[in-house]
Amino acid sequence: MSKKVLLFVFIVLAMVMASCSPKAAGSGVPAVCEEDSIGCAKIPAGSTIKLGMGAPLTGDYASFGVDISQGATIAIMDAEPIGDFNFELVAQDTGGSGEGGAAVANKLVTDETVVAIPGHIFSGSTEAAMPIYEKAGLPMLSPSATNPPLTQQGTSVFNRIAFTDAVQGQFAADYLYNKLGFTKIAVMHDGGAYGQGLADVVREEFTKLGGEVVAYEAITPGEVDYTATLSAIAANNPQAIYFGGYVAEGVVLANQMDQSGLADAVFFGCDGTFGSEFIEKTGASGEGAYAASVIPPESQAKIDFDAQYLKEFGVEAGSLSPYTWSGYDAAAALIAQVRAVAVLGDDGNLYVPRGALVQAVRNISGFQSITGDITCNEIGECNTAGPTFYIVENGEWVEAK
Amino acid sequence: MEGTKRKRSLTLPQNKSGLFRLIAAVVVFALLFWRVGAVATVSQFGADTWLRLAVSGLILGGMYALIAIGYTLVYGILFMINFAHGEVMMIGAFGGYFVFEAFNAIPVTSADGTTLSLLNSYPILAVFLAFLVGMSIAALAGFLLEKIAYRPLRGAPRLVPLISAIGASIFLQNAGQLLFGPQRREYINPDLLTRGTGWEIPIGESSVMLTYTGVFSLVLSAILMIGLFVLVQRTKLGKAMRAVAQDKSTAALMGVDVDKVISQTFVISGLLAGAAGVMWGIHNQLINYFTGFLPGIKAFTAAVLGGIGNIPGAMIGGLFLGIVESVGPAALGIDFQLKDVIAFSILILVLIFRPSGILGEALAEEKV
Repeated sequence: MSKKVLLFVFIVLAMVMASCSPKAAGSGVPAVCEEDSIGCAKIPAGSTIKLGMGAPLTGDYASFGVDISQGATIAIMDAEPIGDFNFELVAQDTGGSGEGGAAVANKLVTDETVVAIPGHIFSGSTEAAMPIYEKAGLPMLSPSATNPPLTQQGTSVFNRIAFTDAVQGQFAADYLYNKLGFTKIAVMHDGGAYGQGLADVVREEFTKLGGEVVAYEAITPGEVDYTATLSAIAANNPQAIYFGGYVAEGVVLANQMDQSGLADAVFFGCDGTFGSEFIEKTGASGEGAYAASVIPPESQAKIDFDAQYLKEFGVEAGSLSPYTWSGYDAAAALIAQVRAVAVLGDDGNLYVPRGALVQAVRNISGFQSITGDITCNEIGECNTAGPTFYIVENGEWVEAK
Repeated sequence: MEGTKRKRSLTLPQNKSGLFRLIAAVVVFALLFWRVGAVATVSQFGADTWLRLAVSGLILGGMYALIAIGYTLVYGILFMINFAHGEVMMIGAFGGYFVFEAFNAIPVTSADGTTLSLLNSYPILAVFLAFLVGMSIAALAGFLLEKIAYRPLRGAPRLVPLISAIGASIFLQNAGQLLFGPQRREYINPDLLTRGTGWEIPIGESSVMLTYTGVFSLVLSAILMIGLFVLVQRTKLGKAMRAVAQDKSTAALMGVDVDKVISQTFVISGLLAGAAGVMWGIHNQLINYFTGFLPGIKAFTAAVLGGIGNIPGAMIGGLFLGIVESVGPAALGIDFQLKDVIAFSILILVLIFRPSGILGEALAEEKV
């Protein structure tokens, strides 16, 4: 009886020892894999190196997911193979929800050849997926998850090139004060988390820079007559009105400034007031209004991308969402990091040390792409270029110089 | 009972609650005056700002007044609140919108070879037709509303038509969303009435703009209100309406066709709401299926404020509410986002101290 127990214990111990023992040396596994904190992804000869993306590909927000994954697809096409290993994008549908995000993440981590995640797309889906990728050691670089707390959760894998509302507010305050030379502005918002968040940052930063915020007013969204609020603001003679909110109220404010004694003030919106609807509904009174956007400034890289996008997908880049360029950049930046750390084994397989890749993505510095300079800080905020500011000239949004 | 009490209130109140009310009123108004005075002494607002605020309030108030009359007329006759009245206004706004759209779509080449849209070639005709169509459609909506949603419930307890009214309001909103889509549509004005342009009135160093659309709306609402007053006081229909409002069964005995008068009342309130809707579009530019909701609620408040059932009361209540909304926050030195808080606080105060509203009359009191 006791002999049987002993035998059983011995067998179990032997199994444990065997599973702990290092792999036999000389089998082609590079030394970096032994040293790596997480271990290597082994990509067998003949397979592709996969980037996994969780995106809403169906449902109400499908245009975002489709557009961003198409942007990333072009980055994959542009990428040179590593040896015989090509890159491949695996885009999975999250439906835009948190649960969908977790499901996609759980699916992607079971595939050993998935090495990095240029996503997810929505903040909720990203938040649900983060702990799963953290465990598996898959670095993320999101083009569009803007919710500020995401980078403050202490994960090593999450990074983003999307700028947060806080970053946008800082850039807007700086633009108003330094570029446009305004010293007296009024700040308005629609009382929502997005609009008020922006307005608060602008007020704080503009004051810090030395400017004066002469009025700070909230409006009730959904109304069509803000002349009373604007008239009260006009009494303080601001040079510009910063508005944090959406296009519906932005249109009404821009239209009613003239009759409220604010004919000389400039309307300065945010990425919520950017778009064709603003121009359609403001007409002449919208001329000279500013807004911010993630759409990058014109450059050779952007022109090439736009041409290729049109050729591949038959629609103009940017017609589905403003994030397609960011989708390209996220994938391109990740591909560059994979290339930097991947090692070709003697056995003909490709090895990607996961721990080193996570580090490399967090340490991205000075990566130049369509949206500008990508440099990650210690918590994974990688957008240093900020938003691009646009102005309405002759009934069109043009980049503000 | 109420009537006698009100006559006495000029002398000392006779009972405890009356005394309490008087003291509360004095305290509230003292606080209000103190606050306004304190703000006025430090206020950075000059005369130009106050005038701008007052003008903005008057224009808004004129539209509220037109809608409020609809509430008050119906209440005066049926003792029910027609909560679908705001939607009648929305329907009127769309009526005018489609007239402008149609006019704008037709190009006209004049003798000297320039091509203008029909809208700008015949702006007065366009505006006239927009009001005609908007008012007619709204009147038709009011007429059908009464026929379908209220008439079958004529004998039912009072809460039943009220619920039917709320149902009709939701139905019309959804119907509007299905018919016109959820997006906001832009009223295309003739160049004559370009928004954001107007007469500049110099005040001190700056000048105050009286917009063409605003002045147009205000003048038109004044004309319509005078017209309505004449109709109610001087015509046979008005006399019949007043008779039905006083006592339905006696009026019927005197040969007044009560059902017909009720229908006509709904048509008249629909006409006014339709006019308010077209004005709303012309002055405020953007309309959608939900446009009628907020003005509807505000106008109902105005009607109660002025004394529901009382036509001059609805006019005064509407203008008062519009002005309080725009001047109030500035006078009290608080955020403009709280304008509705001020408006509704004033409603509560008025209802505490004068339960029948500013111009509440015996007619209203009997029904409460």
